[in-house]
Amino acid sequence: MKYLYVYPEKCTGCRECSLACSLSKFGECNPKKAAITIVRDEFNRYEFPIVCFQCEDPICLKFCHQNAYQIKDGIVIRDKDKCIGCRLCATLCPYNAVTTFDDEIVKCDLCDGDPKCVKYCSTGAIQYLDETEELEKRRKDMAERFLEIFKK
Amino acid sequence: MFKGKLGIIDLSKNKITIKQTPDSLKKLFYGGRGLNSYYLYKMIKPGIDSLSPENVLIFGTGFLTGTLAPNSSRFNVSAKSPETEILGDSNCGGYFAAELRYSGFERLIIKGKAKKPCYLYVTDNKIEIKDSKYYWGMDTTDVQQFLKKDLGPVEVACCGLAGENLVRFACVRTGVKNAAGRCGLGAVMGSKNLKAIAVRGTQGIQIKYPEEMLETVEQLKEYIMNSKITSILGSVGTPLLYEVSNAIGAIRTKNSQLNAWSDSLNAEEIEKLVDKMIGCSSCIVHCRHRNKLGGEGPEYTAVGLLGANLGIEDPADVIELNNICNELGLDISSSGTILAWAFELYEKGIIDKKITEEKLCFGDFELAKRLLYKISRREGFGNILAESTKNVKRFGEKSKNYLTAIKGLPQSDPHDCRYIKAFALGIATSSRGADHLRSRPTLEIFLRLPQEVKERIYGKGIPNDPTSYIGKEKTVYFSDNIFALIDSLGICKFICHGFNSPHFVDYTWMKKLIYSASGWTVKEKELESVGKRVIDIERMFNNREGISRKDDTLPKRYFDDPMPLKISKGHCIDRKEFDKLLTRYYNLRGWTNDGQVKKERVKKLEALA
Repeated sequence: MKYLYVYPEKCTGCRECSLACSLSKFGECNPKKAAITIVRDEFNRYEFPIVCFQCEDPICLKFCHQNAYQIKDGIVIRDKDKCIGCRLCATLCPYNAVTTFDDEIVKCDLCDGDPKCVKYCSTGAIQYLDETEELEKRRKDMAERFLEIFKK
Repeated sequence: MFKGKLGIIDLSKNKITIKQTPDSLKKLFYGGRGLNSYYLYKMIKPGIDSLSPENVLIFGTGFLTGTLAPNSSRFNVSAKSPETEILGDSNCGGYFAAELRYSGFERLIIKGKAKKPCYLYVTDNKIEIKDSKYYWGMDTTDVQQFLKKDLGPVEVACCGLAGENLVRFACVRTGVKNAAGRCGLGAVMGSKNLKAIAVRGTQGIQIKYPEEMLETVEQLKEYIMNSKITSILGSVGTPLLYEVSNAIGAIRTKNSQLNAWSDSLNAEEIEKLVDKMIGCSSCIVHCRHRNKLGGEGPEYTAVGLLGANLGIEDPADVIELNNICNELGLDISSSGTILAWAFELYEKGIIDKKITEEKLCFGDFELAKRLLYKISRREGFGNILAESTKNVKRFGEKSKNYLTAIKGLPQSDPHDCRYIKAFALGIATSSRGADHLRSRPTLEIFLRLPQEVKERIYGKGIPNDPTSYIGKEKTVYFSDNIFALIDSLGICKFICHGFNSPHFVDYTWMKKLIYSASGWTVKEKELESVGKRVIDIERMFNNREGISRKDDTLPKRYFDDPMPLKISKGHCIDRKEFDKLLTRYYNLRGWTNDGQVKKERVKKLEALA
C-alpha cells in the first residue's frame, strides 16, 4: 500500500502542492482550498506540509453519523452524496488534515493513485511511497512529533 | 474570478474606489510592471515632486501571479522615484502578491497623503484605511509580526524606518527579506504616511482550462528542473554569480577602484552560513537563503556591494549588513554603492570630517553598520547620505567622477561593466537607471557558450566575444523586451529565457500559460510586442521628465579608467564605439537619434485604453 510521506526539511514553502490540488479538484488556484496545507512562518523559520495520513482507524470515519466515509484499498474516501456537510470530521481530525472551506469539505483521496501534490513538488518534500517498515516507522515518528507541536 | 479588481485609494480624501481594468488594456500590457507603467504615465503629471501627495504609488500583481505557473509570486511597486525623479519601479517576490490576488484584487493604486500614519487592510473584495500610530516607527520585521498578531494570518508589504524618514533609497519589504528594493519606493510610502499594506484573501483564482494548466506546468517544470543551473541556483542561490564575475575580474571592488576581490565571499563560503533554502509562492527554484544569523540572504548584490565594494571580506559581516538593510528597509544596491562612493571621496579628500563627522575607510565593518543606522534615522552624516546621488550638488561636480550611477540610480549589479559591453549598454538604457534586472543578457558572461546558441536567441551576427561592441544592441533589445513581459506576467526572471540559461520560459511557454489561465489565444509575435510597448511607455514617461540621449551614458570611470586586474585588465568602454552602439540600439527600438519615442508612436500609445 502506498501513502504520502512528508519531509519538512525539504519543504521550501512554495505551495505548488496545494495549488495543484485545488486546481485539479476545484478548477481554481487557491492554497487554502486544498487537501494539503503548508503551514509556514518565515519569521519563525519553518515550513511544514500537512497531509491526510489515511489512518487505519480514522476518526473522520468513526464519528461520521451519516456513514459518508469508507475505507477503499486503504484510502479513506468521503462519499459526497451521503455527506451532509456538518464538518464534524474536520473538527475532530487530530491532524487538521480534513479541510473545510466555503462550506466545502476537502479530504485527500490520493488522486486515484497519482497524487498531484507529489507530482508538482520540486524538492521531494512530499513523496508517495510503498509502506515499508522503515517508512511506517518514520510516519509514526512524524505524527508523534506533530502532536507534540500541537500540544505546545 | 480569473480577473481581479483594481482598488484606487485616495489617502487625502480617505476615499476608496473599486474598478476593473478592461481586458482590452490587459491584452496590451498584461499586468505587473507593464500595467503599472501604463497607469504611471496616465496618472502622474510631469515635473511633480516625487515625495509630494501628487505622486501615485502602485502595487500591481502580474497576469499569472498566484497561479500554479512556476515562480508566479511576483508583483511590481511603481511610482515616480525619489532617488531619480524619473520612472520608479521595482519587482518583488514573496507571498504578498499571491495573497493580494486571493483577496480579489490584482492592483492597488494609492494617491494623495494620509493626515496621520495609516495602513491598508485588504480582505476579500474590501479595502480599509486603518490607523497605524501603533506600528509607526517599527522595523520591518516587527511591523509584520505585530500585524500578524493583531489581524491573523496576513501577508504584509511595508516600509521600514528608512521609508518613514524619506531616505531616497528606502525599499518596500515583504516577509523576511523580499524587497521591492530599487528606486526608493519605501520613501514614497513614507511620504504618503502609509506604513504597510496587510492582505488576507480566501478566494481562488479561477482558471479557464485547469487540465491544460496542470499539463503545461508539469511539462515546464520537468524542462526547468532538468537544467543544471536550476539545481545550482536551488542549492547556493545567486552568490554563485559572485565567483563567475570575480573570475574574470569584474566585481566592483572599493567603489570600482579595483575589479576583483576575495574568494572568501564565494558561494561555497556563504553556504556554510545557510540553514535552509526556501522559495517564494509557486517557486520551483528556491534560491532564498535562510541564514544562520537570523535573517535571509545574502543575494549576489549584497555579497558584491556590501562585501567587495566596501572592502569587506568576512561573509558573516556581509550577511549582518544585509540583515540590517532588510530590517531598516534600505535598498542594498544603493546602500553599498553610496557608502563606497563616500569612502572613496573621503580618501581622495573631496569630502572631509566637516560633513562626515568621522574618518571613513574601506573594510571597516563597524563603520558601515553605524552609517546604515544613521542613514535610516537621518542622523548626522546619515542625513546627508540619505539623499543618495543627489549629493553630487553638495559634494561638488568632481564627486560625480567617482559615482557609479546612471540617471541618478546607483548601479545594482556588482558586476563591473567595463568588460562585457552588452551589460554596459543595458544599464545605460534601462528605464529606471543603472540596473541590471531590466535587460542583463547574463549569457554574455558564459564565455564558452557556442555562437549558434546566442544567435538562435538574439539573432544573426552576434560574435562570441563579450568585449566586442558588434551586435550587442540585439542582445540588450531581446532581453529588455522579454524581461518586460515576464515582469508583467508576474513570473520570476530566474526562469526566463535568456536570463540565466539559454532555455527556460520563452514566448511559446508564455503563450501556453496565458492560454490555459485565461483562454486567450495569442501569438508569440504579439507577446514580443507587449514588451516593446512597455519599454516605449516607460521611455515616454522618462522623455517627459527630460530624459534623452545625454542621459543614456555610463559612469565616467567606465569610459576613462582601464580595469586593473585579471582577464579584464586594460578594458574600458570606448566612447565612440559606445555611441555607435547606442545609435544602433535606438534604431532597433524605433526611437529618434536623441533617444525620444517618435511622435506617431506616442500618439498611438496615448490613445490606448
